[in-house]
Amino acid sequence: MKNKLRQYDTLVFFLFISPWIIGFSLFFLVPFGTSVFYAFTDARLPGAVDYNFVGLSNFVDMFNNPIFSKSLQNTGYFVIVGVPVVTAGMLLIALLLNMNVKGIALYRTFYYLPTLVPIVATVIIWRLVFNSEFGILNAGLAKLGIGKTDWMGSEGLIKPVIILLQVWISGSGVLIFLAALKNVPKHLYEAVLIDGANKVQSFFRVTLPMISPSILFVVIIQTMYNFQMFTEALLLTKGGPNYAAYTFVYNIYKSAFTDLKFSMAMTQSIFLFALISLVTFVLMKLSKRFVYYEGEK
Amino acid sequence: MSQSNRIVKQTGKYVLLTAALVLFAGPLVWMLSTMMKTKAETYKVPPTILPESLNFEAFQRLFDVQPLMWRWIQNSFTISALIVIGAVLSSSIVAYGFSRFSTKYKDRLFPIVLMTLMIPPSILMIPSYVLFTKLHWVDTWLPLIVPAWLGGAYYIFLFRQFFMTIPQELDEATYLDGGNRWTVFTRVIMPLSKPIVVTTVIFAFVNSWLDFLGPFLYIKSNDMFTLSVGLQMLIGQTSQDFPALAAGAFISIVPIGLLFLFAQRYIVEGVVLTGSKG
Repeated sequence: MKNKLRQYDTLVFFLFISPWIIGFSLFFLVPFGTSVFYAFTDARLPGAVDYNFVGLSNFVDMFNNPIFSKSLQNTGYFVIVGVPVVTAGMLLIALLLNMNVKGIALYRTFYYLPTLVPIVATVIIWRLVFNSEFGILNAGLAKLGIGKTDWMGSEGLIKPVIILLQVWISGSGVLIFLAALKNVPKHLYEAVLIDGANKVQSFFRVTLPMISPSILFVVIIQTMYNFQMFTEALLLTKGGPNYAAYTFVYNIYKSAFTDLKFSMAMTQSIFLFALISLVTFVLMKLSKRFVYYEGEK
Repeated sequence: MSQSNRIVKQTGKYVLLTAALVLFAGPLVWMLSTMMKTKAETYKVPPTILPESLNFEAFQRLFDVQPLMWRWIQNSFTISALIVIGAVLSSSIVAYGFSRFSTKYKDRLFPIVLMTLMIPPSILMIPSYVLFTKLHWVDTWLPLIVPAWLGGAYYIFLFRQFFMTIPQELDEATYLDGGNRWTVFTRVIMPLSKPIVVTTVIFAFVNSWLDFLGPFLYIKSNDMFTLSVGLQMLIGQTSQDFPALAAGAFISIVPIGLLFLFAQRYIVEGVVLTGSKG
């Protein structure tokens, strides 16, 4: 009798979670399986019915494509340079907003606003600000005697401009750091103050270790995001100029929708998944040495 | 001495904050200023910082150049509303399952829910497109809406965390009165969950309003576009009409800006809890 009841309750459990089971199977397992399957075929179109198995040749072709290596380099830049710059930017702003002055709440609101701007609007705004002829930025720099700069049109500048855009919309990370800074116990600062530490020393000896779990969290989220950098590059300059902002995911998109090589796009997606998993794993492992969790010995 | 020292310090802090504020609010102010200029004024070198006179012709031009603007705004609201309703209903039901039952399957499946949060969405972009093509859902709103009705991992997590804080004794009292699982969910749990429902409504709305890639990939017909995708097309059409573009950007910001004014607390709490903007 009791067993029957238990079985019935398990059935009810599955009824309750059935929306998730359907959603997870249909929109996660099926696409995931599809990519693994297609990666070994030569299917060109999304609805293709006639295709051949080609073994590993998609992977070989992928590595032989110069645009693929270019896109990998560009994405590498956004991860290796972009992530530290954006994270440091967030931390710096959080430290500013953590200062104890009147009216700080109002400042906090303004820093968060750009994060809530839809990406297309962000891109419109950046085109207005960075416009080389009529933009406010070049006008301001001209006052300082700096000549006209073609921000969006130069290969060397487009990646820094995109990273700057990421800092502009980094409000979520700032909020996470701000919450972490508020949780650092005051008595620790008093303790190092008695030891004769100055502001900079107390930042490195107290603040950084105490908020290190949040730093790890933000770094991992930002790393995953920058590996997948796409929309910004697509909308700002269509990956240009001369492939300078042609990111890995932009390449996946082009393989599928311009070259109509869906099997190649899936091969690249699988490679990206492996790469992100590996890097996240390494980050987690390395972090054990740097991250301090309260309550640990 | 220490008094004047403090004043210097305070002033220094305000100078730093304000300098940074100019960098962050400046681009938004430049958008506002540009949208109120005449087209001719935006071509002046050096540019005027504030418009010489306030005029709103840019909005008129925007709706003339692109008669579908109203349609896109309506579409965005309709899609967002359908996503919000689906997210609240499905995620709360699933979260109830994951918070109140004691079966071994629960402990095995919930980690998978959390794992899906860590999967980079762009690796599923292409295979999902293949799936939606085969389902004949491309160029409909279904790829945007149906997944929301089948339980989003973020919202399931949020609801579950909240449900765990509701005492089990309340459930048991309802069983004694002859209630079943469903009555507990609808009569006990949900009425106590207004704060998390509000959070989810706000997050799901912000998320769907900010989504660009989904509508951009799946919707092909102009009259089905969301506002963001429409604006993206507009950039291509009138790349030199700066006031009209600024006006378009402004319109797409207003709904979220208003929401933020009234619900700042919820948004901030949600971000800190889940580490995402939604």
